[in-house]
Amino acid sequence: MNDFKLITFLTSNIDIDKHSIEALIENCKLLKVDKGSFLLRQGEICKYSFYVEQGLLRYYSIDEKGKEHILQFAPETWFVADRESVYFNQPSHYFIQALEDSSVILLDENFITQLAQKNTSFLQFNNKLLHNHIRHLQNRINQLLSATAEERYLDFIKIYPNLLLRVPQSMVASYLGITPESLSRVRKDLAAKNFKR
Amino acid sequence: MHRLAVIANFTVENFNTMAIKNVELVMSPRAPHYVGDGFRVHNFIPGGYRLDMQRMNPFIMLDYNSKFYFTPSDKPRGVSVHPHRGFETVTIAYKGRVAHQDSSGGGGVIAEGDVQWMTAASGVLHKEYHEENWSKEGGDFQMVQLWVNLPAKDKMSNPKYQALSNKQINRYTLENNSGEIEVIAGQYKNVQGSASTFTPVHLLNAKLNKEAKTDFSFPPQYNTAALVVEGSVIINETEEVPADHFVLFENDGETFTVKAQENSIVLILSGESINEPIAAHGPFVMNTNAELMQAFDDYNKGKFGYLE
Repeated sequence: MNDFKLITFLTSNIDIDKHSIEALIENCKLLKVDKGSFLLRQGEICKYSFYVEQGLLRYYSIDEKGKEHILQFAPETWFVADRESVYFNQPSHYFIQALEDSSVILLDENFITQLAQKNTSFLQFNNKLLHNHIRHLQNRINQLLSATAEERYLDFIKIYPNLLLRVPQSMVASYLGITPESLSRVRKDLAAKNFKR
Repeated sequence: MHRLAVIANFTVENFNTMAIKNVELVMSPRAPHYVGDGFRVHNFIPGGYRLDMQRMNPFIMLDYNSKFYFTPSDKPRGVSVHPHRGFETVTIAYKGRVAHQDSSGGGGVIAEGDVQWMTAASGVLHKEYHEENWSKEGGDFQMVQLWVNLPAKDKMSNPKYQALSNKQINRYTLENNSGEIEVIAGQYKNVQGSASTFTPVHLLNAKLNKEAKTDFSFPPQYNTAALVVEGSVIINETEEVPADHFVLFENDGETFTVKAQENSIVLILSGESINEPIAAHGPFVMNTNAELMQAFDDYNKGKFGYLE
């Protein structure tokens, strides 16, 4: 119980004691999923926000030609959800899939409401998280519209320092909105600049 | 009375100079997993019961591909490009052939009986695949991959290879031709190992004919283990160890004996622990988390070079 990363995250960001959080989290489900399993499929309603304790998830869509587009990776300590589906109770356009064997805490509205009741500063913090998320999304949109492949890649490794070793390059390319060939080129050019021996 | 006392005295002295290194644990292989699609391995270090990196230091990882038949494949199976930093990888080929390539343009084939000792140190990118012709024919594949830790002062030294073909490995021949000890590194009796190491490490392949018996001596504090690759042996006259099992020794005595119940091959590891903190993540083994973060950043930014 004490080892949950979510507890550490919450207690270090809002003024709440560990026991109150533990009591709330006891009502949540901890899901252990195998690599490849789906937590959400297109057409389903997303009932939870997922907090990744261990492992790695991806949040993606599939277009009419069958091509995958990754919106977000969620490694340890990240949240992921189809907020449109959760908040507006609409069928999802997206998939959430485990890329590694993962443990995920399922957070529902109930958890949020109860936490807010116990601790008013949580609402403020949740608001900050939401704006952080919006900032991240804005940045993503702007990059996809205007940044070079190298700029996108450099931003990616800042946000996800260890993902290059955990996912196939084709998925990184899909996240960056470039072809795997251009990702190879970017990495080759960087190596030419930075590799000294 | 007098005579008895002398005998007791002698026995005690004998015990002091040749204290037995006892078996702490015999471990059966855990369920295998695939590394890439070409290595079907049982992990013993650091995943195994009690065998964490510090307990086995300087041996920080040991994956064992027990004998496994790979069907013929035109597209060689293996592990695609990946980096290493902060340690050495030692590949011991018992069956099958592996081709490898790295970002500095090096490459080669590790054939049956060969050992490749790669000092990744400051960093290499490499890939390892079943050798093309071998892959086309398929066959039994059996390998050990061992990671040997480097001390902080050598973690960022230049990468290098020691490619040891089977012929180049120095050997000690046992009495009555009952077998031989390939001395990959360190020392066995009067024979020096073929590979150079950064800290004291003994790595031996004991190839014993049925009924052959020999002894091994290492300082008590050295972390010591054995993997039965082929056959079946009895250790210290009491502990029976079948094929594919891993033996951990206590850090007490110096000497243990190995007796082959059938023709056997035993890999023996013993090394002085590197008394430093370990920060490990995936293919990087450093001393601090900051150094790990640096390793990821260097890898992401191409500082390990480039390899398709």
